Parts: sequence; structure tokens; C-alpha cells
Amino acid sequence: MNNIRLEIKNVSKNFGITKALQSVSFNINRGEIHALIGENGSGKSTLTNSLAGIYQKDNGTFILDGKEINPVNQVEANNEGISIIVQELGTLDGLTVAENIFLGHEDRFVKIGIKNTSAMNRRAGELLAEYGFDRIKPSDMIENYNFEDRKLVEIVKATYFDPKIVVIDETTTALSREGREELYKQMNNIRDKGNTVIFISHDLPEVLKMSDTITILRDGVYIDTIKSADIDEDGLKKLMVGRDVTGKYYRSDYDEEISNEIVLKVQDVSVPGLISHISFDLHKGEILGFGGLSESGMHEIGKVCFGASYDREGSVSLADGTNINDIPTAISHSIAYTSKDRDNESLVMNQSIRDNICLPSLDELSNKACLLNDKKLKEFADKYAKQMSTKMQSVNQFVSNLSGGNKQKVVLARWIGKDSDILVLDSPTRGIDIKVKQDIYQLMDKMRKSGKSIIMISEELMELIGMCDRIIIMKDGKINGELKRSKAMDENSLISKMV
Amino acid sequence: MNVSNETTAKKQSGQLKGYLLLIIMVFISWGIFKLITPNNFGSAQNMLSYFEASLLAAVGAVGFYFVMVMGMFDFSIGANIMLSAIVGCVFANRLGMGYAGLIIGAIVTGSVVGLLNGLFYIKLRIPSMIVTTGLALIYESIANYIAGGVEQTLPSGLRAFGQMPGNIILAIIAFAIAYLLLNYTKIGTYTYAIGSNEFVAKNMGIKVNKYKILAFIISGAFFGIMAILTISYGSSMVAVTGMASMTRNFVPTMGCFFGLAFKKYGMPIPAIVIGEFVINIIFFGFIALGAPTAIQDVITGFALLIIVMLTTKVAKGEIVK
Repeated sequence: MNNIRLEIKNVSKNFGITKALQSVSFNINRGEIHALIGENGSGKSTLTNSLAGIYQKDNGTFILDGKEINPVNQVEANNEGISIIVQELGTLDGLTVAENIFLGHEDRFVKIGIKNTSAMNRRAGELLAEYGFDRIKPSDMIENYNFEDRKLVEIVKATYFDPKIVVIDETTTALSREGREELYKQMNNIRDKGNTVIFISHDLPEVLKMSDTITILRDGVYIDTIKSADIDEDGLKKLMVGRDVTGKYYRSDYDEEISNEIVLKVQDVSVPGLISHISFDLHKGEILGFGGLSESGMHEIGKVCFGASYDREGSVSLADGTNINDIPTAISHSIAYTSKDRDNESLVMNQSIRDNICLPSLDELSNKACLLNDKKLKEFADKYAKQMSTKMQSVNQFVSNLSGGNKQKVVLARWIGKDSDILVLDSPTRGIDIKVKQDIYQLMDKMRKSGKSIIMISEELMELIGMCDRIIIMKDGKINGELKRSKAMDENSLISKMV
Repeated sequence: MNVSNETTAKKQSGQLKGYLLLIIMVFISWGIFKLITPNNFGSAQNMLSYFEASLLAAVGAVGFYFVMVMGMFDFSIGANIMLSAIVGCVFANRLGMGYAGLIIGAIVTGSVVGLLNGLFYIKLRIPSMIVTTGLALIYESIANYIAGGVEQTLPSGLRAFGQMPGNIILAIIAFAIAYLLLNYTKIGTYTYAIGSNEFVAKNMGIKVNKYKILAFIISGAFFGIMAILTISYGSSMVAVTGMASMTRNFVPTMGCFFGLAFKKYGMPIPAIVIGEFVINIIFFGFIALGAPTAIQDVITGFALLIIVMLTTKVAKGEIVK
């Protein structure tokens, strides 16, 4: 029996002069988790977005169970049996949980134009209960829930109707450990029912653990499809990058003494409902890690250090006694911050790469008459965008057109250009490919050696272990332990303090 | 307590808070003027007439809410009311169609104006504020042409909607339709979806342009009903030109702000109705005081800004545009 579920034949897609997909062809089978990997900008999301009706392909065909499909939006794709869980938020404020789940599919609850809200809520409640998400109430407004819970609602929305193919696009990095486990469970359920998961992730161990088959794309071109059992992580890296990824990945030193010089002092800081009585020091040339479950309060630590936290109590001060109570003071005293929610909190989406990179450095880039020179701005942005290997047509390209990883590179390029002394990096490698991850780790190491201090907040335990001099573990808004860099440290020693 | 009971209880407590806030506003605005001018303001009879007067703008505002939630605006409100009232009056009086002419003429005209606003906005891809400002000038001129420069008076036998119970019945029907559309049809869900994130809404298969035009049509139809109440209440309508109709924009728009501010309590339509009542209490309070118009406008403006500011309660860090 023919086991092919989806045939992708010569699919191409251009964005202006950028060739995002170049005649890509391969097959995806029934009852498998099929991973799609590649560097940032390799065309993974473009391909799946075209399949799910978010983009329209320029050429080529998608053949699902022998029938050619051309969905023009997500609802049409759903009707064909394809659904997608996107990297960023895919639910809408102003609607209830139930309305979000059935958005675009309300007709089943509508009779003579009138929507039966209680029937819709009842059905949504049944679905949430089936998935084990009883604590999410169908008639609650979706904005009452956090990012993670909203992602769980998206899982229900994308899978409740038993689609033939579910695309999961770089979703796991947005989820905590518990959320990931839930997603993995759902992925296995889909496969066990004989349906297919297309799984996009930069986390290669996760890809090898979860998938049956892996397809690699590079620069919009199909490279290969292999069985997960037949390859290891290094082999995947080689196929993704096109050469051996050699050299060190994480830091290799273990015996370096941390300087006694304190550059940032956080004393008895509390933010109602988020963190409680937090105190720590950041030393010169130190990488200080913060780990914990997603809701442990660790992400608020980043905001606190950047003066971006509201209703904060306690103090955040620099070595010279300057109190950091607001963002302008933080930036003017050489503190940089990258948020986990890069689309909403770090980038100006409808502006160019140039404007995004130059934004905090405009004072330095303007002349004595406070006028800006276009050429100077372009050169500045170009220099740092290229340093971060940002895949772009030019710095005049809009940030909104970049892939997730390349957006993150723009954020980092901004602060490297600003030459900040203290960097607060919240989930700096979220959605970033293996090669750029390596670049970022090496950059952090170089910065550390040059005396810059870094706070790294991450849900990736391995990168905390690999990069940090000290790791503070947060639990329920409080510090639940501190570990010093050592060869003996492993994930279990962190997890035991996290849960 | 099961899930359904728990969420219902939560929702009801939110609504209760909203109603409580609005009732407090009614009492405060009434109390202030009653203290200053106890003899000629705020009796039970007075309050009933203030409420009747507030129904006019409330009817328009509940329709306009669909447009505002989607993030669009309409500067042709006054021109629409004027044109719809004049056409309704001409149908009822000159063409001898009576109440049927008044109702059909005004509502159809309002809807057509809404359709034109929506079509021009979508087709020209110009911000709604600019499109509707330009179109307002055209609507004013058409109204003036139809009226022949003469004040249009509704015969006394056709003014049932200008007094009790006609005005209350028409307003209640309008509020019920708005409530039904907002809560029990796809239009309501899509209105909020488009207002929240147009791009995602589009990806969900929602025909965004179609629903934007529909929002303008609904808004226009409700302004048509407001026009019926307005001409019935005031008995006549003058077709002004040179953007003078814009003075009619203010009150329905302010009522709509109440709706947006109380959306989080899950009660936008009652908030619009009670909000318009508060605005009218303030307005008639100033009349009772005999305050000069300029002072009235300044204080009313400030009072409304304070009310919206206090009720909106934007979270720290939330972006306000």
C-alpha cells in the first residue's frame, strides 16, 4: 500500500529578490513524525506556511492523499486536513477560549444566523477536559491566560478535528518542560492514529528523540531526507550547515576565578505576583545564569535589571551607586536587554533592520547638530548585522520579513553595536540554529573575557551549564538554589531544584 | 463547584463591578449638580427626560461600537444622521409614506452611507478618518440638495418615536439587535477577532474586508435609527453644510468610549447606554446652572476625559494609541 501522505513537488517561493524556496521536492508518510530542520532562513517555515495557507507558493504542487491542494488560508487548509501551530502567539485577544478554538469554524454552532454560545463553550470544555487542560475555562477571555496556556489552547485548536497533518513550527522553545512534555504526548497521539506531524525545531537532540524521519533544507534548497535512527547530531549539523561544525560549542574552562568587582547589585527585589525578595550580585566578566520553570519568575529578573519591571520594590544599582529604576537610565549606563518575546518587546516590526539596529545608538550616531547621516546609519547597521551573519537582502529590508532566528540576530546586533557593558539576555538562542548558536556562545565568551558581564536567562539547561559561571535556580518567584560552574554539574542537579 | 458555574460566577462578578461603577457615576454626576442647583435639576421627572434624551445617542453609539472595536473611525456620523433624518422625513411627509417611509427611509439611507464609507475605505486604502471626513462633506451637500435648503419638519402625527413609549420601544429593539449581533452571531466574534489581530484573523479564513464593510453598514443603520429618534424628538432637521454636522459626532463617540472602556467587564452595550445617560446628566446640569456654552464645553470635555481615564485603567506598560 502506498504510504505517502503528502507529496511536495517543485515548490518555489520568492520574497522580492530573496529565493526562500527553490523547487523543493520530497514526500512525507502517514503515521510518522517528520522533522524539518535547517538553519535560520533555510525555508522551513516558508514551506509549512505555504502548505497551511498562510503564504501562497509561487510554483509547484502539494499533493495530499493523491489530491492536489491549494489552500488560501488556514481554514481552507484545516478543511483539507492540515493544521499548524505557529512559533509566536496564534490566539486572539478579545475572544474567549472557546471562540479562539473554533474561530473560522463557528458554523457548526450557528442556526439561522444565531450562534449557540453555550453549545460552543460546552464542546470546548469537553475538548479541554479530554486533553487534560481542565484548568483552562472555555468562557474565559483568552487574555486572562499566560503565553504557555495560550499555546496549550492552540494545541487543542490545531488537533481536535483529527487533521491528517499537523505542523508544529518551533513551538517547543516557547514552552516550559511540562508544556513540552504535553506537546510530545500530543505528537505521539497524532502519529499513533496514523496521522502525520511535521515538526520544526532547532533542538537537534529533541529532533532525534521525537522524529522518525528528518528532512534537511539549506538556503531554500532540499538537501536530504533520512531516517532518524540512521544519523547522529554531528551528522545533522553537517547536513544543515554544509560542512563540519568544528571548534568549541560551549565554554571549556572550569577553573577561572570570578572577579570580586561587583557591577550590578540587586537587593531584596519583589514584584507582586511574580518574584519575591530576590538578591544577587553580578560580577565583572561573569556570566550569571538564571534557570527554572517558565513561570518561576526568572523572566521577570531580566526586566528588573533593565528597569522595565512595574511595581518593583527593592533596589537595583550599579557599582557607582546609580539606581536603575527605568529603561533610559539602564541604557545610558550601558545595560542591554533582549526579551524572550522578541516580536512584541524587542523589535519594531514595521521598521527596517537598519532602524532596529541603530535605535539605541542614535545619540552616538548623530552629529553635533543632532542630525543623522543616512550613510553612517547604514554602515553602522550593516557592520553589526553582518557580524551576526543576518540573512537579509540589505539593511533596508523590513524586520517583519525575516525568519525568527534572523530577527533575534538583529536584536543582538543592536546591543553589540551599542557596546553595552552589562547584557541581560533572556532566552538568547530561542529559535536560533546550531551555527548561530555557536556564534552567540563564542561571542558571549569573548565578551566575558573582555570584562563585560552577562545575565543569561534560559529554559535550555544545557546552555546554562555550558556557559555560566554561576546558575541561580528560581522556583515560585524565589531563589531556590545556586550552583557554581563545575564539570560535575548536570541537568539533574538543576532539575532537582527547579521542581 | 463545576467549571461552568465557576466561570459564570466570575463573569457575573465582573459585570456586577462594571454596573456598580456606572451607577456610582450616575449618582456622582447627579449629586454634584443637585447640590449646586437643587431646584431646577435632578427631580425624578427630570431624570426620566435626561434618560429619554440619552437614548438618541446611545442607539447610534451601539452601532458605532462595531466600527471602533475593529480599530476604525467615522467622522461622518453627524452628516449621516442629518441625511438619514431628512430622507426619512421626505419619505414620510412629501411622499406620504408615513411611519413606514420614516423608518425605511432613515435606516436604508444610514446603511447606504455606511456601505459607501466601508467601500471607499477598503477600495481607496485610505485611513477611515480621512475617508469619512471627505465623505461627510458630500453627505452634507446631498442632504442640503434634498432639503432644498429648507428646514424639514416632521408632522406632529408622525412623532411617536420622540416620546414615551415609542422612543423607548425603538431604542430597546435597537439595543437588543446590537446585543444579539455582538454576542450570538459570527459578526460579533469576527469584530473582536479583526480588532485584536487582523493578520491572524485573515489567516483564519475571515474575510476581513467584508466584515469591515459590514461593520460600517451596521453602524450606518444604527445611525439611521438615531436619525429617526432625533427628528422625532426635535421635530425638524436643518441640512447644514461646511462640516457643521460634525458637532453631532461628539456624543455618540463618547458613549462608544464608555463601551470600549467597559468591554473588559463583558458589558459594552449597557455601558454605552448608561454612559450616554451620564453625559446627558452633565449636559443638562450645566443648562440648569445657566453656564455659558464655552464653559460647559470645557468642563464637559474634562469630566468625560476623567471618567474614561478612571474607568479604562490601562495596565502599567500597556501601550495606548
